Amino acid sequence: MLLTLVRASLWRRRSRTALAVIGVAVSAALLLDMVMLSSGMRESFRSLLESRGFALRLAPKGTLPFDTEATIDSADAVMAQLRANPDIVTVSPVLGGQVHVALGRGTVAAVAIGIDPAVQGDYDLRAGHDIQRADQMVVSDQFLAATGARVGDTLRVAGGYDAQMRLLIGERRLVVAGTAHFVYMPANPRVVALPIATLRAMRQTVDDPVSLFMLRLRPGADPATVQRWVARAIPRVTVISTATALRQVDERLSYFRQLAFILGSVSLTVGLLLVTTLVTVSVNERLGEIAVMRAIGIATRSIVLQVLVEGTAIMLAGSVLGLGLGLVTARYLNGILSSFPGLPAAIDFFLFQPRDAWVSLGLLGVCGVLAGVYPAWRGASLPIATTLREEAVA
Amino acid sequence: MGDRLVVRASPTGLGDTVVVGAIVRRSADPSEVARGEYRVLMHLDQLQSLIGYGDRVDRFAVATAGAAATDRALARINDAAFGFQAYRSRDIAVETSQTFLVVSRFHRAIGVITIVASAVFLLCIMLLKVDERRRDVAALRLMGISSATVLKAIVLEATLVATAGSVLGVGIGVAASALVNAHYRGVYRTPLAFTIVTPDVVAFAVALSLGLGVAAGFFAARRLTRVHPLVLFGR
Repeated sequence: MLLTLVRASLWRRRSRTALAVIGVAVSAALLLDMVMLSSGMRESFRSLLESRGFALRLAPKGTLPFDTEATIDSADAVMAQLRANPDIVTVSPVLGGQVHVALGRGTVAAVAIGIDPAVQGDYDLRAGHDIQRADQMVVSDQFLAATGARVGDTLRVAGGYDAQMRLLIGERRLVVAGTAHFVYMPANPRVVALPIATLRAMRQTVDDPVSLFMLRLRPGADPATVQRWVARAIPRVTVISTATALRQVDERLSYFRQLAFILGSVSLTVGLLLVTTLVTVSVNERLGEIAVMRAIGIATRSIVLQVLVEGTAIMLAGSVLGLGLGLVTARYLNGILSSFPGLPAAIDFFLFQPRDAWVSLGLLGVCGVLAGVYPAWRGASLPIATTLREEAVA
Repeated sequence: MGDRLVVRASPTGLGDTVVVGAIVRRSADPSEVARGEYRVLMHLDQLQSLIGYGDRVDRFAVATAGAAATDRALARINDAAFGFQAYRSRDIAVETSQTFLVVSRFHRAIGVITIVASAVFLLCIMLLKVDERRRDVAALRLMGISSATVLKAIVLEATLVATAGSVLGVGIGVAASALVNAHYRGVYRTPLAFTIVTPDVVAFAVALSLGLGVAAGFFAARRLTRVHPLVLFGR
């Protein structure tokens, strides 16, 4: 009975109901997008950090990994200190830099990461084999495309380039051992990975620098305890746990969370206002009907319920439509933000999680109920006799 | 301020004593926003000596007298130079503002979604507002007032509502812009302007809201005036 009345009421003004559902759908889409934006980037970054099993990262004091060109010198001594801690099972050193590949027509520059192949966590091999000798490197597909090389080719690679003399510095002949997907790199990176000792020699450094250490802990070890120990034992480094990194990212990208909060609130308010207006007008048009229903003995509670269900039905119908629309727009918006310079390709700003859909649906459902409160109160509190007389005269 | 510090190029290198002479605010450089590294400014020769740079520099900034002089200077430097290249400041600014260009594209996309939502909302509200007056319209029509006059009256009303809403919206926009700038200048410690309300933006927003408001009012009114007055009365 209740649902029949609700359906009849909404069906009577079909175009109006359809327009309201579309309005709610757009608001719901924006709301879902903003809920996804507020948490997606964080979750995506967390899963990227945790994907390789390294719980702690050590960067030069006061910096974030690869945020500056600063390095940690005397890395071998630092590694020896770290290995002395039984909670640390793997220490993976990484040195960042740039290399120049000499080709017949000129040079091609590429990002270089010096790693220890046995413990590296920066890439997944795609073709060929991993680095087995000091003169081998693993490269990205984009590097191969830029140089025209193939797996197995030998290239002339330099650790520096003197622009004034137009000379390559620290040149070596390196073999392309394989291709890989570099997990922390932006989309389409031109990057090579080579043994850290080779990169140091090519850069002609004398104090065995590294840009970053990644630490894997034994199962059950507390990252916070190890973090405190490293901070005490090696004061010239900044120790970054996953929680610290997430906090830093939160600070840097707080703009997007705030934007998500503001736009999410606005879209929710717009949806609420829209449905409130629609249901209020709908109730105003049916004051006579409502008065008759109350006069023939239908309980006030039923009338209140009918109006509340009407608002919720519009809200939920729009929400279901909006969730689909939201996923499409989120994909488009994610495509825009993914082109941030230097952002790892694995990070999504809009990451769909079922929780987001439930949160959006829940918020919209609550708004649907709230939207019906005022018109329901109005319909339930009208004086029956006066309303009937006024409606009859009208 | 006033403290003496020893600075070194590397933890084990030779140091030099410096006095903290001043604290500077960040320049309005988009590339510096959200970066957290420590920064010190020193005399060029002192830094060159400290890091063993000889008399090398990373770049020169060249002041010119106008756009034509910039073009001439650029051509002469690039023709004569060996091993380095001259760029316009504008081109460098574009390169270093890539992050902001992405954010700008994101804002435009969000803006389009917001406009669609506003348009549907406005259409709904106007439709309801006009629909609520079915009986008034029916009475006016039965009194002999033409459909065209009723339609014009409703469109005029929609125009007035849209104008009032636009003026209010511009006011809210200007206030929101000031708030956003104050907030993010504090958060990122930069004098950059994050939002700017320009005459173009105001004109676009007002034109859009007026256009949408008037169009919504027109379609809603036309829908109503095409129906027979007695039907509007529910007969």
